[in-house]
Amino acid sequence: MMERRLLREAPFDAAAKLWRVNWLYVLLLCALSGVGYVALYSAGGGPEPYASRHVLRFAAALVLMLAVAMTDIRLIAKLAWPFYFLALALLAAVARFGHVGLGAQRWISIGGVLMQPSELMKIALVLALAAWFRRASWERMGNPLFLIPPMLAVLVPVGLILKEPNLGTAVITAAVGGAVFFAAGVRWWKFALVLAPVPLLATFAFHHLHGYQRARIETFLHPERDPLGAGYNIIQSKIALGSGGMWGEGFLHGSQGKLDFLPEKQTDFIFTLLGEQFGFVGSVVILSLLCLIILGGMAMAIRCRHQFGRLVALGIAVNFSLYVFVNIAMNAGAIPVGGVPLPLVSHGGSAMMTVMLGFGLLMSVHVHRDVEFPEGEG
Amino acid sequence: MSQPPQGPFPPNSPQDRPPPPPDAAPPMRSRARPAPAPRQGAARADAVPLMETVRVTAPDLRRRAALEKTRERLFITACFFVVLFVAVIGKLADATIIDPLHPRPPSHQIAAMLNTPTLAAAPPLARRAMITDRNGQILAISLPTVSVYADPRQMMDPNDAARKLKQVLPDLDEAALARRLSDAQRQFVYVARQVTPDQERRILDLGIPGIDFRPTEDRHYPMGRTAAQVLGAVDVDEDGIAGVEKHFNKRLFEDPTPLRLSIDVRVQAVLREELDAAYTEFTAKSACGVVMDIDTGEVLALVSLPDYDANNFATAPANARFDCAASGMYEPGSTFKLQTLSMALQLGVVHVWNEFDAAHPIHVGRFTITDFEGENRWLYLPEVLAYSSNLGAAHIALDVGPERQQAWLRMMGMFKPVPIQLPEADRPIVPPISRWKALTTMTVGFGNGIAVSPLHIVRGTAAVANGGVLVTPTLLAQPPSNGVPEGERVMSEQTSDTMRKLMRLVVTQGTAKGANIPGFYVGGKTGTSQVVGKGGYRQHTNISTFVGVFPMNAPRYVVYFMLNEPHGNKSTGGFSTAGAVSVPGGGRVIARIGPMLGVLPDLTDQATIDQALYMPMQPPRPPGQPITPPDAPIPGDHGFNTAARAAYRRIPGHAPLPPAARPVASHHPARGTAPHRPVPPRAPVHLLPPAQPLPPAARRQTAAYTAQPRDVLAEATQAAPLPARASLGPPPLAPR
Repeated sequence: MMERRLLREAPFDAAAKLWRVNWLYVLLLCALSGVGYVALYSAGGGPEPYASRHVLRFAAALVLMLAVAMTDIRLIAKLAWPFYFLALALLAAVARFGHVGLGAQRWISIGGVLMQPSELMKIALVLALAAWFRRASWERMGNPLFLIPPMLAVLVPVGLILKEPNLGTAVITAAVGGAVFFAAGVRWWKFALVLAPVPLLATFAFHHLHGYQRARIETFLHPERDPLGAGYNIIQSKIALGSGGMWGEGFLHGSQGKLDFLPEKQTDFIFTLLGEQFGFVGSVVILSLLCLIILGGMAMAIRCRHQFGRLVALGIAVNFSLYVFVNIAMNAGAIPVGGVPLPLVSHGGSAMMTVMLGFGLLMSVHVHRDVEFPEGEG
Repeated sequence: MSQPPQGPFPPNSPQDRPPPPPDAAPPMRSRARPAPAPRQGAARADAVPLMETVRVTAPDLRRRAALEKTRERLFITACFFVVLFVAVIGKLADATIIDPLHPRPPSHQIAAMLNTPTLAAAPPLARRAMITDRNGQILAISLPTVSVYADPRQMMDPNDAARKLKQVLPDLDEAALARRLSDAQRQFVYVARQVTPDQERRILDLGIPGIDFRPTEDRHYPMGRTAAQVLGAVDVDEDGIAGVEKHFNKRLFEDPTPLRLSIDVRVQAVLREELDAAYTEFTAKSACGVVMDIDTGEVLALVSLPDYDANNFATAPANARFDCAASGMYEPGSTFKLQTLSMALQLGVVHVWNEFDAAHPIHVGRFTITDFEGENRWLYLPEVLAYSSNLGAAHIALDVGPERQQAWLRMMGMFKPVPIQLPEADRPIVPPISRWKALTTMTVGFGNGIAVSPLHIVRGTAAVANGGVLVTPTLLAQPPSNGVPEGERVMSEQTSDTMRKLMRLVVTQGTAKGANIPGFYVGGKTGTSQVVGKGGYRQHTNISTFVGVFPMNAPRYVVYFMLNEPHGNKSTGGFSTAGAVSVPGGGRVIARIGPMLGVLPDLTDQATIDQALYMPMQPPRPPGQPITPPDAPIPGDHGFNTAARAAYRRIPGHAPLPPAARPVASHHPARGTAPHRPVPPRAPVHLLPPAQPLPPAARRQTAAYTAQPRDVLAEATQAAPLPARASLGPPPLAPR
């Protein structure tokens, strides 16, 4: 007994770890997935073809998440950079051998499973940046030279994702990186310095965008200009939300979704489908659920007692919230259509796996919130 | 979160507090309290043995400072996302309950689609103005219709689409359409223009994606064949390509008020009907008719046969599209004698009592001029016109001379296109001036060797009969307030007065007796010219013309009635001359249109009017006047000296004529019985200096003569071919 107490760390077996898992949070995730089941049931007009597979996939992803949650966060910290370079290699490979889907090269097949390396990259980037910044003191953060490697670690994958081309994911990746930088304590003025030329860059980039990307932005600004062409998605989505009104048209009702006016209703525009059927009230309930998940992730980050865990948890939470924000804002017509699914609700296996991998890391941070990193590395 | 707080500090507190000074004692655990349970994975101070002094090192402090900073930043980030989500909720509220977007009616979306840049670049549809006749009857109107087009980008199965469309639109070329619909580079392909509402409905029923309609206009001609050549046609873009539609193309697009033509559809219909009856009865090759207001030049009717339904211009044969009245150039024949006589009378060269040798054929070179069924005697000037003597007209033309003849014809507009609002109005075929010698002067004098359009004849005849003013033919209705337009005076009123009496004589006692409709006091002139064929005039192929004016006591309208290559039948005794085939038709036209135009037959004043229009066939010659007028010089023509002309010239003013050549006055029943009305002396209008006597001929021509006159016009134009003609139809003088 004394020996055990003399140890700096008490025994930390699997059962104890399971006990430390934030089961309330897991319940929230299950609830969100349940929302997805309802939405996909409606989109598919029954359990097939989307809803039942969604449940099976979520069950598998839940197991993956718990497995990751059991993994020691120190081991994860050690593996952060190798994981990052693996993701980078995959991202480079996708540019050469990737599958072309809907005009963009985003997918790669690993062992028969199609996946998007850009999704994996976001998690790997969070881990790598957290590993870089975890020992950094406030003084060290003031040294610009110290910031150059992590900046490269952000810009290289962002450039590769832009080349796919996938503007939405590239922006989200850059924003996630920026959030980790911000949380690590990079000075305010440096952000100002980096963000100041963005408007100029944006105008420059606008002229070098692909036609369809430019059309999306143009259509976003003036959707009525081409109601049957590029503006179709936004207008139909807005009509669907408008017809939902305050209380919605009811489950399995809603002309826009039922009559296939709504494009991509099982993926990108699934939130609109829910909005049409459950109205503003239903949308706010779903948004609240999402908000709880995000704030819970942030709380776990704050609760964590080591810098690596905090940064990882924050990065994962920011990644998730950006996903949600872009998707819902797109559905509501607040930002251009970007081809970003709603995590855990939209149909799609690869996205769910990566999202749950992220939540697994988050949970691992929470499980290992009090561990001490060896001094030698600190 | 799931962990209940353990130990003396709340879970977050150790690191949330400012770090203790390095030498400060570690927090001590009170003995009174139970020992804390070992905590898995704990890295906290209370996990170490109580006696141990924990040294807080500088890296520890730095780490804690960084964690503090991160905590602060985490809060900021969380707040940022909360704000972001509140904004999203606000936007959602806007989209769902504050300002919901409702689906718009389909028409709205189609209108918006039509405003896409591709179609906006096309010019807006302009309503083309109507064309009406002088009474407001619609002759041409644009009606809205739709055209079918396709967007090949939206085509799913072009071959299937083409096959289905072919079922509705049988005229489509299915293979070509399928090919065009397969061209995904294009965004706009016309499938068919101007489909009917029924076809539109059936195409809609096909439900082919990418097929759509755009509104256009279709030009309709409700009167069909009536005035088809006058109206002309428009192309698919409604641009005029012929007739009035072409001439007034800009006006019809710019001014939406209807274009009011001078055409009167009633007169047009009557003229067409009578012309068509004669055209059919005498199986003519073509026919032409004109009715023109003699004072204003307004063309009330203009018919050219064969014609076509104006709605089917595209499929009409070329000879139907051909407008004989404006583009057709025909040898005017004897109708031209009106010009010759009025010219000679106006110049004072001849008088009505002058006599002309119609007994002897004139031989010029290889040519012989004779009279068709002539009187074979000397003829008074009225007889020359009434019996249509070529020899008499030839002598009169020679008395005037070529230079004054050319000047006259030029003044009458016979050398250039008629100024009318028809793009088809063409140039006459005129012998070259350099070769216009005695022979040309003579043949042109009786209307051979020159080819002008019917409108030229109508215009010239109007000037002869209307008091001597050359009017400009027009197809636009003239407002009555305009009155009689200013025209060029080409002859004195006395000359015109004499000519009217002479024209009346033609109808009462001459070749056009068939047109003597009681009460209308018709005057006119017939013309029968032979059709020019390969190598000369063709036998038994005539152009039979009647040009009439009515009523002669107060001329109002000119009527032109012409049949090209008519064939005589039993009713005409096999004759196809103008008197047999054209005059009766012309007379019927006058009888039918006169009342329509407010000219009612006047039989009550017949005696008075007849008296006023009286002209004896053989007017008595005042004492001291020569029988024949002086001969005009023919400059540079030394080959001209025929026996007949020489004999004619040997007759001095008062010398007694040889008995054989003397006119037998008693032959004419009118002579001596009718009261003589002297023609008042006139002040001659001098076009050219008074003629000088012709120098004696240098040599005598003794060549062999042909029985029939040769192709005078072809001979005359051989040296200097006329400029190439640009007209819709075949040139009228081409070999047939």
